Amino acid sequence: MKRVLFAIVMLGIVMAAHAGQPAVSVSDARMRWLPGDLPMAGYFVVTSHAPGPLRLLGAASPAFGDVMVHRSLEESGVARMVHVDGVDLTPGQSVAFAPGGYHLMLMGRTQELHVGEEVPVTLRFNDDQTLVVIFRVTGAQDE
Amino acid sequence: MTGCAATARASGSRFLMLLLVSLLTACGQNEPPWGLRNISGLMPALDFTLTEASDGATVHGKDFRGKVVLLYFGYTHCPDVCPTTLALLSHAVKALGTSADQVRILFVSVDPARDTLAQLKTYAAAFGPEVVGLRGSEDELKAFTRRYRVSYGYGKPDSRGAYEVSHSSAVYVFDREGEIRLLIGSTDSAPTITGDLQRLLAETPGASM
Repeated sequence: MKRVLFAIVMLGIVMAAHAGQPAVSVSDARMRWLPGDLPMAGYFVVTSHAPGPLRLLGAASPAFGDVMVHRSLEESGVARMVHVDGVDLTPGQSVAFAPGGYHLMLMGRTQELHVGEEVPVTLRFNDDQTLVVIFRVTGAQDE
Repeated sequence: MTGCAATARASGSRFLMLLLVSLLTACGQNEPPWGLRNISGLMPALDFTLTEASDGATVHGKDFRGKVVLLYFGYTHCPDVCPTTLALLSHAVKALGTSADQVRILFVSVDPARDTLAQLKTYAAAFGPEVVGLRGSEDELKAFTRRYRVSYGYGKPDSRGAYEVSHSSAVYVFDREGEIRLLIGSTDSAPTITGDLQRLLAETPGASM
């Protein structure tokens, strides 16, 4: 009987791990406001608490028609942006989406945005795990 | 024949001399080292013909004599590196207090096909009153970027016609007389930039090298 209970509890834990939400924490989520409908950059720090490898595959937001994962690179004094298919997270690892590196490229505004507003962004991980994160709109001149 | 060879050698050694002079100036006893990279004499003075985004007027490099000028090349569909650089420069300039008005940040579009004057105007304004958006025809831009050995290129357009632009990340600093002085790299901090700008602003005209 104890064994059966143990098995049921274990099954529950495994199922929870495969359920919708990934075991990650996200902090400092913000997007830098730019005028008009120019693409904006989204920044945050994601930390994995999952027991195994995780992969961030993409993002979406009702405030934007399209969101892509990008990375800025600088080689021999020339800056360029590349599209990224995914970002791997090992257990316990933190990855910063920060100016000059990884960032979300937020394109095609579906609504007017103002500094100080909060915008939901869904981060999509492997195994259909998703997490809704609230991003704050910061000013163009904010770091 | 010999004269020609001698001239070639002379211009080669002239470049070396310039390099040496700039290195000596940077490390000389008379002048404490700059926080930013000293590139005095290594590039031509500020000179260009472009259109100012705020009013559509034709402007020339000499129109900015009397101001310390920070020159940066970018494009408005650049959500990460360009705003980060402009925000950094803007913070560094604002920290000068009342002297901030003596500095101009020139943001030159390397994507004139997409950057209309109106778009460039609102983009520049978002980063502060010291930021001047400038746009040129293809020929004007080519002439200007060639003068400062600035490179830029365009990626393949995607299904929506959007494309990436690669561009030099450097920011050139010119003194009040329009002479090239310093280079700001991506690792330089706002206080370092502010400190060097203060020194440039304090210079007596004609006293620089």
